[in-house]
Amino acid sequence: MSITVLKAGLQTTLQGAPFTGSRHLGMPAAGAADCLSLALANFLIGKSCGEIAIEITLTDAIFEFDEPCLIAVVGAAEYVRINGQDHPQHQPLKLMAGDKLDIGPSRPGCRTYLAIAAEIHADGLLGGQSTYLAAGLGGFHGRALKAKDIIPFSQVAPAVDLDRSTPLNLRPHYSNDHVLRVTRGPEAVEACEGVMDDLCLRPYAVGARANRMGLALEGAPLSKNDSANMPSAAVFPGTIQLPPSGQPYLLGPDAQTTGGYPRIAQIIRADRHLIGQLGSGSRIQFVHITAERATEIHREKLSLMSSWLGQINLW
Amino acid sequence: MSGHDPMIHICDDWISIKLPDWKTILAAQNALSASSHWTEIVPGLDSIAVQFDPALLSPDDAARMASDQMKNLTRVVSHSSATVVIPVCYDAALAPDREYVAEKLGIAAAALPSWHASQLQRVAMLGFMPGFAYLESEEECPAIGRLASPRQLVSAGSIGIIGRQSCIYSFDSPGGWPIIGRTPLRLFDPAKNQPALLAAGQTVRFQSITKDAFDNWQREEKA
Repeated sequence: MSITVLKAGLQTTLQGAPFTGSRHLGMPAAGAADCLSLALANFLIGKSCGEIAIEITLTDAIFEFDEPCLIAVVGAAEYVRINGQDHPQHQPLKLMAGDKLDIGPSRPGCRTYLAIAAEIHADGLLGGQSTYLAAGLGGFHGRALKAKDIIPFSQVAPAVDLDRSTPLNLRPHYSNDHVLRVTRGPEAVEACEGVMDDLCLRPYAVGARANRMGLALEGAPLSKNDSANMPSAAVFPGTIQLPPSGQPYLLGPDAQTTGGYPRIAQIIRADRHLIGQLGSGSRIQFVHITAERATEIHREKLSLMSSWLGQINLW
Repeated sequence: MSGHDPMIHICDDWISIKLPDWKTILAAQNALSASSHWTEIVPGLDSIAVQFDPALLSPDDAARMASDQMKNLTRVVSHSSATVVIPVCYDAALAPDREYVAEKLGIAAAALPSWHASQLQRVAMLGFMPGFAYLESEEECPAIGRLASPRQLVSAGSIGIIGRQSCIYSFDSPGGWPIIGRTPLRLFDPAKNQPALLAAGQTVRFQSITKDAFDNWQREEKA
């Protein structure tokens, strides 16, 4: 049983839970850039939140299924069409053998997740199966999908209620305007006294350099001390670095594990799934909060989402 | 968040701890590894960071726990003390910056292999890419600096040097370090139980090999 890629789009990869416990080996997180949309899609077809799905970036993508299959789509896609007919997101959809599934461009927003009620055959390493593109590891031969690729899967009889549908109040709102909450980074003071105030004063826009590794932000440059570089230290998805240009650089899921630029801020865990919906031109307003408050927000979000999704992890 | 150690910085799901030297960092890595609370333990050059699940642990508790676990660090090197020998081919075909580096060092390009291979190096940390090793030489060395513009493609196994620090590229990737040779060894093999060839704290010595030996080795690695 398999899915054939008819149109792959800009960057379509197999992504699920991130790699954990291997950052000291230089292995990045990878995994779904928007873990919340992934979790919602997986849940609709009876899978747990971190299982492998297809992550589609910005442009539309078309797939053909050679066997009947249950799927769900959640994300920023403008439309979902089966053989040219519009179908909704946020509910399981039944496909018949030979059906063509067209997932529209992601806008506003950046990414859409296609979950399939079957076991997708992906390359495994370090206990994970997500794609890490820079090193060509995991996923579908470590790379983005191309037209004519055939993704094998094993049918699993899905035990789901076909009437399942994400409650309206839990459906993410996809936008090009984001408020992202940050805590102070370790070098916020060393890099520049008052850098957090400056970062949160004016909105930033995501520049042309925007991918799974990181996003260059454009806006009022932040002034900083001469000690532009520091001894390399750990960075994480959501860390905001201050390179010599003064334009902040926001790290994404595929970001390297250590870096030598001052770490001025860190996007809080509860807001990190939104990084996956940032694309060139997205506008960001940063808001500075304490680590304690960030933990409260994270737990509130988990509790809200787990009322629908059950056990859930956000990364 | 009052009264905690000023060397500890707290974010909402990770904390960074400044440490005085590499031996303390290794000892800290060792001590922290005994706890199941840390989802990541990442050594840096003058710090270590731990990540945790904020659903289970508050930032303050995490900081307190890390402090407690790092009390009375015993300075044992956790990894095997045996020196890892890394074969390197310094042939010009695999060393595009041989002349540039030799000139910076004030030595003849032909003397570069013996100069580099005579030094004992320590793995300071892994980072940048899976298995990518940052090495520090025990010997003083003039600063060489990075290339003015990074290369789009540096081959896996390439040895870079910017002075006392050398590095080994683990995958084909962009890179800005001047390249003086290449090893046929795989720095990261996901099929292995321990995928990374090197670990922070290990000592490394390079051994010069001929281009023929390199080619044979690479053929065998691929087979």
